[in-house]
Amino acid sequence: MTAVLEGPTSAEAPASPLAERAVQARRLVVDMAASERGCHLGGSLSVLDILIAALDRASAGDGTEVVLSKGHAAAGLYAALYVSGMLPQNPAPLYGRAGQPYTGHPGPKVPGVRFPTGSLGHGVPYAAGWALSRRIGGQSGLGIAVAGDGELQEGLVWETCQVAAAQELGNFVLVVDRNGGQNDGLVADISPLPALTERFAAFGFEVAETDGHDLAALTGLFARDRSAARRPLAVVAHTVKGKGVPAVEGKAGSHYVTIDATRAAKWKRAIR
Amino acid sequence: MTLSGRDAYRDELTSLAAEDPTLVCLEADLGGKNHPFQTAHPDRFFNVGIAEGAMVDMAAGLAAGGYKPFVSTFAPFAALRAAESLKLTLGYLNAGVTVVAPYAGVSGAWFGTTHHCLEDLAVLRSVPGVTIAAPYGEAEMRAVVRNAARSGRPHYIRTGRNATYESLPLPDGELPLVNWEYQADPEDVCLVSVGEEGTRLALAARAATGASHAHLVHLDHEHLSAAAAELAGRHTRFVVVEEHRSQGGVAEALALLLPRCEVTGVGAGQEWPSTGGDHQEVMAALGLDLPAVLAAVARARDGRPTAAAGHAHACVR
Repeated sequence: MTAVLEGPTSAEAPASPLAERAVQARRLVVDMAASERGCHLGGSLSVLDILIAALDRASAGDGTEVVLSKGHAAAGLYAALYVSGMLPQNPAPLYGRAGQPYTGHPGPKVPGVRFPTGSLGHGVPYAAGWALSRRIGGQSGLGIAVAGDGELQEGLVWETCQVAAAQELGNFVLVVDRNGGQNDGLVADISPLPALTERFAAFGFEVAETDGHDLAALTGLFARDRSAARRPLAVVAHTVKGKGVPAVEGKAGSHYVTIDATRAAKWKRAIR
Repeated sequence: MTLSGRDAYRDELTSLAAEDPTLVCLEADLGGKNHPFQTAHPDRFFNVGIAEGAMVDMAAGLAAGGYKPFVSTFAPFAALRAAESLKLTLGYLNAGVTVVAPYAGVSGAWFGTTHHCLEDLAVLRSVPGVTIAAPYGEAEMRAVVRNAARSGRPHYIRTGRNATYESLPLPDGELPLVNWEYQADPEDVCLVSVGEEGTRLALAARAATGASHAHLVHLDHEHLSAAAAELAGRHTRFVVVEEHRSQGGVAEALALLLPRCEVTGVGAGQEWPSTGGDHQEVMAALGLDLPAVLAAVARARDGRPTAAAGHAHACVR
């Protein structure tokens, strides 16, 4: 039996504090693209709304841990952490600089980050282990892993799905940033993922499909109390690479971008 | 009756968990039925199935959540298949996770090359911050497990299959940096034993030659650096016996740590053991047997540190 949940929608919702955070965070990501190092811009912008919604749940203080498994979207994570009040200072001017922890893939020296990610796949079992720790102690809180769709080509992801279902880790949530892109091109061209929701359902997950830029829908999915759930939750979040920055939105070339300050200023003004 | 390394591990951890609710035990389908930890503490025992990488990474998550996970699978799958997870979890995160790895060396014997692991020390010794132990006998294994549980530091514990070994005397139950099992003339060669079979062979060679015998349990760089200083305080010529590739093994490490001493060794060379036989027969096929150790001692005594057979480590002066 499949268990595809319909996520709530908010097409008509007015701008919320979270939406304001998202705009602010997108500007910071562009700032990081304008750094000496550049950044994984497309994937940072596609995952941003997912991170802001997930971190909002984590900020409730119930022991929810958010793990960005697609660690190459570090710029998106640093921006989301900052606008969510979890970083003491703006990371953009420090990004990629010597002596600063804001590396191109995140690690535990960054405030609010527990695990090193970027070697793809590992963040998924980190979050599952966190979820298991909460369950052993009879505590609330979720382990939320945020993975890329290209990342699902890593065997470790599916190894963990098998374990999470077998262990009935209902407080484990795997969010897929389904932006359709990966380093060398399109996921659909390189190693496509047909019947993705059905795959998770077949593993024994509850499955929700949602617009990955609908903050209310995402917030609603993460807000659910899953302490009594017996099935992990997979959220397939449909997203757009480069979302929110018209110059790169939906363009495959946005995977890794380095721009100058003039262009950054222009792009930031156009963010919606 | 003395217990094998892995049985002693299971028994000791099960006992410790009665007093420490933060201890959890993970297996990847190689813990066997009726695991004593599962029987005693079923709410803290998890057989994750055949998923070694996920097991180690989930242990990182459990450690972040306040638990002290002990995870176990055969050495080739722990140290090699899950090597990147060990680098990140035990090394970079410095998480309080203990990996217990039976079937190290060629203790898997007739099970074949996929079930051998002659490379784990080379991998783990290169990961900073990991305490590496290769206990010999039940008493050492129990002490190592106690220390790992108490310390909350990352550990890799190497052991064999089901063989049992009579424990060496442990003063006060604590593990000395160097266990001087037998001390003879300081001018003579000193045997240095590593691991279960390395120690068995060194004990036999000591009985046959009357040479000193120093036994090492901890093999990480931090412990080995301190042990090297103690060794050099008593002897100048050493023959290390270890069930590991010569490359990346303990003799090689000691040679670098003791540039003014002569360090040679008997270890597995570069062959792939690919035929059947019991543990000792497979070791012998690799040049790891008593005659090889005796020959190495004789060469060291004669001042001929370079082995003709190709299994010995080069002497470093």
